[in-house]
Amino acid sequence: MIVPLNHILLLSGLLFSLGMFCTLARRNLIMMLLGIEIMLNAAAVGFVGASLHWQQMEGQAIVIFILAVAATEVSIGLAAILVVYRRTDSVDPDMNAALWEKGGQR
Amino acid sequence: MVPATPLPISLIVTAAALLLPLLAFGVIMLATRSRHRLSAAISIAAAGLSLLAAVYLLVQHWQIQAPLVFQAVWMVSGQMTIPIGILLDPLSLLMLAVVAAISFLVQIYSLGYMAGDPGFGRYYGCMSLFAWAMLTLTVSSSLLQIYIFWELVGLASYLLIGFWFDKFSASEAGKKAFVMTRTGDVAFLLGLVLLWLQLGTLDIPVLTDPAAVGAKLSPGMITLTALLIFGGIVGKSAQFPLLTWLPDAMEGPTPVSALLHSATMVAAGVYLFSRLFGFFSLSPTAMAVCLAIGTISMLLASTMAMVARDIKQVWAYSTISQLGFMLMGLGAGSLFAGTFHLITHAGFKALLFLCAGVFIHHCGTNDMFEIGRQGGRRLKSALVCTIVGAGALSGLPPLSGFFSKELILSHLLDSGHPVAFLAAAVGAFLTTYYSFRLIFIILFPRDADDAPSTKSHDGHHSAGGERSMAAVLWCLAGVTVVLGFFQTPLHDFLARAGTGVNAAMPAHHSWLPVAACMLAAVAIGQAWLEFGRKKARQIGWVERIPLLADLFGQRWYLDRLYRYLLDTLVYRGISRLFTANDRRVIDGALDGLGRSTIGLGRVIDWVHSGMIQYRLMIMVAAVISLILFIGWGG
Amino acid sequence: MSILTLLFYAIALLIVAATAMAVTRRNLVHAVLYLVLSFFGTAMLFYLLGAPFLAALEIIIYAGAIMVLFLFLIMMIRLKKLPGMFFPVGQLLPAILISAGFLVVSSVMIGRNSSGWAPMPAAQASPMAFGVYLFQTHWLAVEIASMLLLVALVGAYILGRRVRGPSADTRKEAP
Repeated sequence: MIVPLNHILLLSGLLFSLGMFCTLARRNLIMMLLGIEIMLNAAAVGFVGASLHWQQMEGQAIVIFILAVAATEVSIGLAAILVVYRRTDSVDPDMNAALWEKGGQR
Repeated sequence: MVPATPLPISLIVTAAALLLPLLAFGVIMLATRSRHRLSAAISIAAAGLSLLAAVYLLVQHWQIQAPLVFQAVWMVSGQMTIPIGILLDPLSLLMLAVVAAISFLVQIYSLGYMAGDPGFGRYYGCMSLFAWAMLTLTVSSSLLQIYIFWELVGLASYLLIGFWFDKFSASEAGKKAFVMTRTGDVAFLLGLVLLWLQLGTLDIPVLTDPAAVGAKLSPGMITLTALLIFGGIVGKSAQFPLLTWLPDAMEGPTPVSALLHSATMVAAGVYLFSRLFGFFSLSPTAMAVCLAIGTISMLLASTMAMVARDIKQVWAYSTISQLGFMLMGLGAGSLFAGTFHLITHAGFKALLFLCAGVFIHHCGTNDMFEIGRQGGRRLKSALVCTIVGAGALSGLPPLSGFFSKELILSHLLDSGHPVAFLAAAVGAFLTTYYSFRLIFIILFPRDADDAPSTKSHDGHHSAGGERSMAAVLWCLAGVTVVLGFFQTPLHDFLARAGTGVNAAMPAHHSWLPVAACMLAAVAIGQAWLEFGRKKARQIGWVERIPLLADLFGQRWYLDRLYRYLLDTLVYRGISRLFTANDRRVIDGALDGLGRSTIGLGRVIDWVHSGMIQYRLMIMVAAVISLILFIGWGG
Repeated sequence: MSILTLLFYAIALLIVAATAMAVTRRNLVHAVLYLVLSFFGTAMLFYLLGAPFLAALEIIIYAGAIMVLFLFLIMMIRLKKLPGMFFPVGQLLPAILISAGFLVVSSVMIGRNSSGWAPMPAAQASPMAFGVYLFQTHWLAVEIASMLLLVALVGAYILGRRVRGPSADTRKEAP
């Protein structure tokens, strides 16, 4: 006997809100991406717990796809951040127009 | 029950007759519009096959005992099922054959008339559409289906009347025809809705069954719906209040007018009346109104025709008056008289218009005095055919019009409407007078300076086109001469399947034909006195009275009246209200909306500072609210 | 309370603590390292909840590949010290509010699920059974995911390519 499903879901919710906080509060594109990874991971935890609860492998299969999506998202996201950094010399999400124009002329 | 074997065959044949013109329309409009000869060939082939099919059906079902109905469910919506189907009974079979024949002949004629027109392909496409709509209308099994194709006929005629749309008057005439018939159609639609609400079905066999209708509708309701539907007929058949569109409709090519005036557009109204004759005859009031409207329009239109100088306009007015005549016959309670006149009229009116087309084609003008001066009388076949047609129109003895007119007159006399009978007699007199006025004007031109000008017009006509036109003319003339003698078989045929034709012929008044001939002879004599004789000045007695001439020439000021009504009611009244509404309510609201949007934008523009995280926050907050809403709201 | 239950709470504590540390680090490298720790914890959790294959994948992909990718990027970028506060207050408060709101709402939603309060029996899906299941029922989705990864590969390549235009001109003019 392990724990009830709700405890796992609560853990997942806690992780998710941590990731959400990271995404919303950190003024750094890399940390925002990291926060998104945390949120995806939290969802994966919830799915694995549900998979155990109902004794179904659907949940685990979905985690596989979450992994695939996370990998995709990170590779594209990091490449995009790199482009932004090359243009603006910063990874601040507060990209106002002036910064972009300066970067464009570079 | 109907025997099983002929069923599928006639269904297939009917479907072929109906769908071929549609197919031709589609093919021409989509693919071959720019290739003129091919388009014409496709259209004529379709029309010809339709004609063959219609004739086959007519022969096959000559001994028909009960109407054949093929129905399929088209749409189911809740309690309503809307069927679509084919109703074959003597009336629709006969009309199918007439429509197919006229449209086939007109299309062949157009081969010569329209040759060289840049819109040749489009013309044949529209003709096919027209034929399809009208053919399907004739065999429709429910009133809703009739209504659909009724509107399609209206659309096709709009396209064809405004065929030369680069001419302002043509496009105006097309619009006028469309809008005026639409006015009547609104009443028609209201009638349909009322009927549907009361009966729950629009099938024609049910509607024409007095027992079924009488059980569900009160007499007042029957009268109301009948009058509403009659409104549609008034619009379509150009009867009294809505008659001014038809004379303008001759802006289209002449073959179109021939088709429009004889077998398709305007005939649809009268056909609908005979289709629903059983229904209308339940309401004496509606029949009386029909009789009155028929009488009024007949007299009005005949007077208008007396002063018209335009050859096509004369025939257009005569169409209105003949349609009024048919409605009089129907309103007097005789389905056969009205239908028979409809059929004979289809023949000779098509003939008259096609002849007029030959004259116009040759002389390049619509004015009959000008045509006479340019030697219209040298177009022998057209002239002879015009005389045949005009004779039929005036009801001269051996021709088809004589029989049908005499039938209507005797019915009017029998049914106890002396006023209507007298009016019909006057109308017949006027009809003869103006028809022969036209013939004498063309035959005996006054200023005979025609010799050189005729030659110049001969050059650009191809011989083949002329021949096809002449062949069609002779064909129709033959029909006009012969058709009258088929009165008895046609009567038996129509009476066979209980379509409401009373089996017994009316009491024969032996003096009536003689009197009618006398009347016609007097009218011809007067026309001869005023226009034909050597010293005549070619000014009719109407034109000598300026007041009358003005009144008739201006169409009894009906157009002016409508224009005035339109100006006062629509432009000054409703438009002003709408303008005020536009300016104050809509403009104000829009301006206010714009201003408040800008203001709101100022207030919340911090969200849009290019900061992703603020947007993210709002997004997440919205998602949380959504979860709350779903979790607790439901 | 069995040993597995105790283990679960211990691992949960580890994960939450490591994630909280990662979220609040000023130094990006530290943050990533804490997150790697958190992912290791998650992998253990997966093993505990009967998904050994996913546990392995979690370590390989999340802790191994993705975090290393982050580290690469952080090392490529020479970050200047950002001016101003580390957590701007105007942004911190709404962020905390929204995250806490989400936590509350989700906890309440989870709490209302009465069927979830019974303790679950332990079970395990062997990697072989899982693989067979995945490729029997979700083979199309797997193929689609592989397409997605291919697209991501190409996209990352195109995005990460240096723009040639102006630099080629300067190189020509330089000698």
